[in-house]
Amino acid sequence: MGRETLEKLDAIRRGELSAVENVQRALERIKKQDKRIKAFIELNPNALAEAEAIDRMLKRGERVGKLAGLAIGVKSNLNVTGLRATCASRTLEDYVSTYDAEVVKRVRAEGGIVVGMNNMDEFACGSSGETSAFSPTDNPAAPGHIPGGSSSGGGASIAAGLCDLCLGTDTGGSIRNPASHCGVVGVKPTYGLVPRQGLIDLGMSLDQIGPIAPDVQGAALLLETIAGKTPNECVMLDVERVSYMSRLEGDGAKGMRIGISPKFAELTDPAVMGIIDGAVEKLRELGAEVVEVELPNLERGLPAYYLIVSVEFFSATRKFDGRKYGKRIEEVCGEEVLRRILRGRYISRKEYRGKYYQRALQVRTLIRQELMRALERVDVIVGPTVPKLPHKIGEKISVSAMYAYDYLTVPANLAGICGGVIKAGDVSGIPVGLQIQGKVLGELDVLKVMRALEAAA
Amino acid sequence: MSEREKEIERSAEEIVESFVEAAKELPKLKETYYSQEAYNIVRPDGKPTPAKERAKFRKRFISNMPTSDDQGNLKVEVARWAEKR
Repeated sequence: MGRETLEKLDAIRRGELSAVENVQRALERIKKQDKRIKAFIELNPNALAEAEAIDRMLKRGERVGKLAGLAIGVKSNLNVTGLRATCASRTLEDYVSTYDAEVVKRVRAEGGIVVGMNNMDEFACGSSGETSAFSPTDNPAAPGHIPGGSSSGGGASIAAGLCDLCLGTDTGGSIRNPASHCGVVGVKPTYGLVPRQGLIDLGMSLDQIGPIAPDVQGAALLLETIAGKTPNECVMLDVERVSYMSRLEGDGAKGMRIGISPKFAELTDPAVMGIIDGAVEKLRELGAEVVEVELPNLERGLPAYYLIVSVEFFSATRKFDGRKYGKRIEEVCGEEVLRRILRGRYISRKEYRGKYYQRALQVRTLIRQELMRALERVDVIVGPTVPKLPHKIGEKISVSAMYAYDYLTVPANLAGICGGVIKAGDVSGIPVGLQIQGKVLGELDVLKVMRALEAAA
Repeated sequence: MSEREKEIERSAEEIVESFVEAAKELPKLKETYYSQEAYNIVRPDGKPTPAKERAKFRKRFISNMPTSDDQGNLKVEVARWAEKR
């Protein structure tokens, strides 16, 4: 189980499948299915030409990169030269990227072929995939339900097999949430492991770019490709490159210390929790030691997160004044984007004696300390990703109910640790993802636990 | 400000105030601005971009500009507050 990505790469290298055939098939699937799913905003008109170049290299026996011939979807808040980085907003609907983001450069250098720009929640402000200015995205794994957000197009693309791998971004759960709802694999890397240069940011101290994939090895391969420092990034960990692929299998979860918290059951729908408990039991059977850890203030992270992200987003959007490019954001954006801008403005205006933003940063410290303390006792913490099942597209839910999707994912962003998601099961056919949170630079442990579960499925 | 904006602003303020209430009893700690403390503020000068690539970049950049003059210079609206003076 879970060798789909590597098998395809092998087939391309052996000449059993050409890069052109692979990309052509992806484009055909998109053409056929995406009218209903709406996972892509724009397709790359040069994708086939880029695939032909890979095939020529293979024919000449030249060295090709580790992603050679794979079809890659890119979230629309990342810059890809010549394609529109719309952020799924009317603000940037005509904005054509002038350069490649660092992660896109790295994907292309390894032979990955960008097939198009994925749909998303507008400016990554949303957890449902419904706030895109162009269209909500459907969930191929549970049609009629939200795919989760904000990397909605990425999650849906992988679930429907529209492309091989996707680049998403995660500020408060935007990779993990759609991975859970769509039943695919997603990884939010440690803050500072992957360069954000070329990302149109939502919250600069929280955003990370990461992989969405059909299997753990695909996610590991894409993460290896994009991780590592660059002088063009201002806030980065001192990590040259990472290597996971050769160390994924080994003993699996045997001997690993897995943390669980009673807090998860307090915040989560019992039907979802039942699936998660089953996955924890499976890990125990695979030889992991399950240990209870305390996370007493976990739920306090959510309001603190929304304050911090609003202030950072308000600051980040001041450049969208419609003068040099695009349209003035306040005049054309959707409701949730406007809410965050106005909230950020309100806090920034009233930020005297540290009542709001500074206080939120103190709560961030508290959440970080609790998670770090828990992770001193265990290798990873496992639990639910999203506390409830996805609602139906178009169903009216309150702002606070929408924000509640993020209860269990924002703590990892606040603490800067890594987290991955893998399907644990389903409730009435709707996928439920297990979240595995790891230490700072603990991606290998997270991937190993995910791979052990995948192999045992 | 439109009615829509006023309503959204009200809901935004409510969330802020509910945070203040929820955080009342929590300990006062040192603030965390970034979860990692490795900064690389000064970027080193890299190799200059080749002239051909610079020209392509300029062309792409200009194509995004909402308005430009005959020489390709960006024309921008004068700030509204300045017009009122």
